Amino acid sequence: MSRRLWTVAFLSVPLLAYTTIVIVPLFTSFYYSLTDWNGFSAQYHWVGLANFARIASDPLFANAIKNTAIWMAAAIVVPTAAGLALALMLHRGVRGAKFFKSLFYLPICLALAVVGQVWIWIYRPDWGLLDLILRNIGLSNVAIAWLADSTTALGAIILAWSWQQTGLAMVIFLAGLTAVSRELTEAAEIDGASYGQSLRRVVIPLLSPATVVVVALSILNSLKSFDAVYIMTKGGPFHSSDTLAMFMYDVSFESYYMGYGSAISVVLFLIAMVVITFYFRQVRALEHLHE
Amino acid sequence: MKKQGMWTIGMVGLVGALAMLLGACGQSANKSEVDVVHYFSDTLGKTTVTSIFDAFTKKTGIKVVDNTTGHEDFKTQILVMLAADNPPDAFSYWAGARVQFVVDSGRLQPIDDLYKKDNLDTLLPPAIAAGTVYNGHKYLIPFGYHYAALFYNSKTMQKLGITQPPKTWNDFLAMCDKIKAAGVVPLAVGSKNRWPAQFWFDYLLLRTAGPEYRARLMAGQAKYSDPEVVNVMKMWKVLWDKGYFVPNANAYDWTDAADQVANGKAAMTLMGTWITGYWNGNKLQPGTDYDFFPFPQIKDGVPNVALGPIDGWVMSKNAKHAAGALKLLSFLLDKGSQAPWAIGQGALAPNKTVDPSIYNSVMKKASEEVGASEAFNFNYDLATTPPMAEGGLTMFAEFMNNPSKSMNYLTETDKVEQTVFKK
Amino acid sequence: MSEGTPRQLSEVTPRRSKRLRGARNSPVARFFFYFFLIVFVLIYIAPALGVILTAFKSNAEIASDGLWTLPHALRFDNFVEAWVSGHVRIYALNSVLVTIPATAISILFGILTGYVFSKLPFRGSEALFIFVIAGMFFPPQIVLIPLFRFFNVVGLYDTLWPMIIVHSAFGLSICTLIMRNFFSTIPTAMREAAIIDGAHELDILSRIVLPVSLAPLAVLATLQFTWIWNDFLYPIIFTKSDSMRTIMVGLITLKGQYSVAYGVQGAMAVIASIPTLLIFVFFQRYFISGLTLGAVKG
Repeated sequence: MSRRLWTVAFLSVPLLAYTTIVIVPLFTSFYYSLTDWNGFSAQYHWVGLANFARIASDPLFANAIKNTAIWMAAAIVVPTAAGLALALMLHRGVRGAKFFKSLFYLPICLALAVVGQVWIWIYRPDWGLLDLILRNIGLSNVAIAWLADSTTALGAIILAWSWQQTGLAMVIFLAGLTAVSRELTEAAEIDGASYGQSLRRVVIPLLSPATVVVVALSILNSLKSFDAVYIMTKGGPFHSSDTLAMFMYDVSFESYYMGYGSAISVVLFLIAMVVITFYFRQVRALEHLHE
Repeated sequence: MKKQGMWTIGMVGLVGALAMLLGACGQSANKSEVDVVHYFSDTLGKTTVTSIFDAFTKKTGIKVVDNTTGHEDFKTQILVMLAADNPPDAFSYWAGARVQFVVDSGRLQPIDDLYKKDNLDTLLPPAIAAGTVYNGHKYLIPFGYHYAALFYNSKTMQKLGITQPPKTWNDFLAMCDKIKAAGVVPLAVGSKNRWPAQFWFDYLLLRTAGPEYRARLMAGQAKYSDPEVVNVMKMWKVLWDKGYFVPNANAYDWTDAADQVANGKAAMTLMGTWITGYWNGNKLQPGTDYDFFPFPQIKDGVPNVALGPIDGWVMSKNAKHAAGALKLLSFLLDKGSQAPWAIGQGALAPNKTVDPSIYNSVMKKASEEVGASEAFNFNYDLATTPPMAEGGLTMFAEFMNNPSKSMNYLTETDKVEQTVFKK
Repeated sequence: MSEGTPRQLSEVTPRRSKRLRGARNSPVARFFFYFFLIVFVLIYIAPALGVILTAFKSNAEIASDGLWTLPHALRFDNFVEAWVSGHVRIYALNSVLVTIPATAISILFGILTGYVFSKLPFRGSEALFIFVIAGMFFPPQIVLIPLFRFFNVVGLYDTLWPMIIVHSAFGLSICTLIMRNFFSTIPTAMREAAIIDGAHELDILSRIVLPVSLAPLAVLATLQFTWIWNDFLYPIIFTKSDSMRTIMVGLITLKGQYSVAYGVQGAMAVIASIPTLLIFVFFQRYFISGLTLGAVKG
């Protein structure tokens, strides 16, 4: 059977399911962005690109973009670095490695509703754990209401989210480290390479498929970051922690401007498309460089 | 091979799911049932409403298929169901601007005939009955309502020697001064989710500018930069400047504020009667541990209006089981349903034939207060259309964070109002 | 770099598997290692501890003492209530019936498409790849209404099928991403050798590629299971009967309009997280090095 036939055979069922369930509904909802639908009404009217014009002039939208960009930047760095560090620390027989790995994976297993609530209880100014500790070590003037202060709310949520996301990165890196065979790293050590050099020259390049996945996931999860924001601040205080996804939800399901919300989701989608395409192009260019 | 293990598990799972599907197919052909969705999802609420549904089934033989989910997700769920033309037959909803919104979207069935047939109007006090009419037709069955007032810690007030509720605004300020001097914070507000702050705005506006002006503002016919509203923000700011509020109000939820009052850290909180349900759940006693007094009068000659939400039930247009749904709605207005509901929720029963002895001392007092009021108004986020409510609620939260910029907030809210009401 | 570098004692002694990577014999490095490990552990334990404390405290206790104090007594009331009144048994069964098939199907899909994108590229396959992972480019709330309408029309509303189907379809994105990237680390030489030997693609996939891909498969199994198990959005929208609900829905329904049952929620969260944790522990053995690329000797 020819290679082409195999390609078609392998791709047909998954792509069919995917197109029907993901792509078609997506474009249906994009259609709403050209209307003034309020989400409830049986009637709505065509408004062309009016919703998109509104996006361009809406300060809340610009605010949401800014917050999402901050989140993305943090997402690319923090969970990736922390996850890599943890994976490196744990993948070769530390005593109790299995326990530690499970501990760092545990956050992902916990229901988000509960995780969000616990972090709210960590951040409370009166008996929250963080401020409790800060006061006990003499830093009382830093012990503020983290989620109620518009300068810290976004950062606080990102931290809680990274707490979960790091476990994900760690797991992917752990699997990726299996591609780094022990012989290679030991050969480097025998050649006199220091730990840092062996890391940079041997391990990290061999981890690049895993790294690509982790960074891509971080980018995408940060763009979609709805649940954590919803549970902890609902985009507040005063939209200081509004991300694109939260803003879209707010507009659609709280203010009932479903048409406008759909327009926002179109923009969100396009941004993701551009960022990811750009990212993969860069990755491919780097891969060709190394060959 | 491990891979085969996974396939096996997958196959087993698929077979199992198929079995479930086949099992499910058998159930859906039932004609004598009613699909409902509601937001009474807390443990006590769910048990109470389920027992009411059971009583209904016993009486009529019609099964109630209850699709409750969390209160937070209710909004998403109901919107999706209505938008995709597969609505529940009946669902719970908040009387006021929200029902108006759904009525204007053409999704609700008028129930004038039901009211006429079962003589339901005779069961409702006029203030509550007003909340069932939209665009000249009846759409809503009121299920329970709440009254917002200043709830306080009885023991704290006793210790401070405060025995009389304040009758005027100056009385109130003097009382707060006395409380503050004794080292207790007078007022707790938990405005993390914004809405608890709205009662301050509402009552200050009602007591100074009156219900007619407020109705115009809610309908987008007055501006947030009007002198009446500016005055409200000024008075509110006075409370803030005098240090009457617990700091960092936006860090706390309304339950946290309730806890602060119960713990003695704060003296009072402006909240609805559902707080009694919360406090009862934490084993506090009505009267001995907590009580309330109504928001004081401020200006002479302004009508005494009670403020609070009404939880009700509505029926979808094109409901699949219309007859059953109508029967259910009527049943929910019956005093046999309203009494256990009120007790369980710390709510007041709209049905005026309910025996007042079911209420504890505090709720009884609340019921009397509402009865003595000249009108019943919905709180802000139920009195104005949802997109406007979003803007207003944000303003209240911003105020509780930093009231010095209130003129800015008012201008911003004006802009929101213009966008919302220009259609 | 390799000439004249003094050798350390450690390099001529036999390797012990317990030797810490990079820690060598230096106590300083080891100190830093354990220091960071402990810091991470503390940061990670704190919130998890919070969940456990919630499960063991009553609402009244949290209201009066705050959360971060030891519970007055180790009462299991919350757990009992979660198990009994929350219909946890039905919910848990439904979660299993949805999660296992959806995990298996999405991984299968990912294997097939990942293989094509990495080993059988064609003109436009890069664009198609982006198309496939576009499913991760938006929050799922956007497509709720069209999907709901769709399942309603085909008569699958209020069954377990929509959740299985939707998770399988949406799962394609991440499964493709991970499998494609890991397949690309398998050298083409292996595949070419097999073709010369007369193998066809399915053979290559099943007998050569998959057996050395246990690590990414284990990762996907773990992650997909966790995500699908923890999802609550689709069950809310696509089911209405209590008998069709999953365990996560059971958890969030405990949040009422004016009150929250933190204790029972916490207990249910603990119960609900056990399966995903067990899955992780089970699949951990596949995250070890040395099993893959064993054939690559240069």
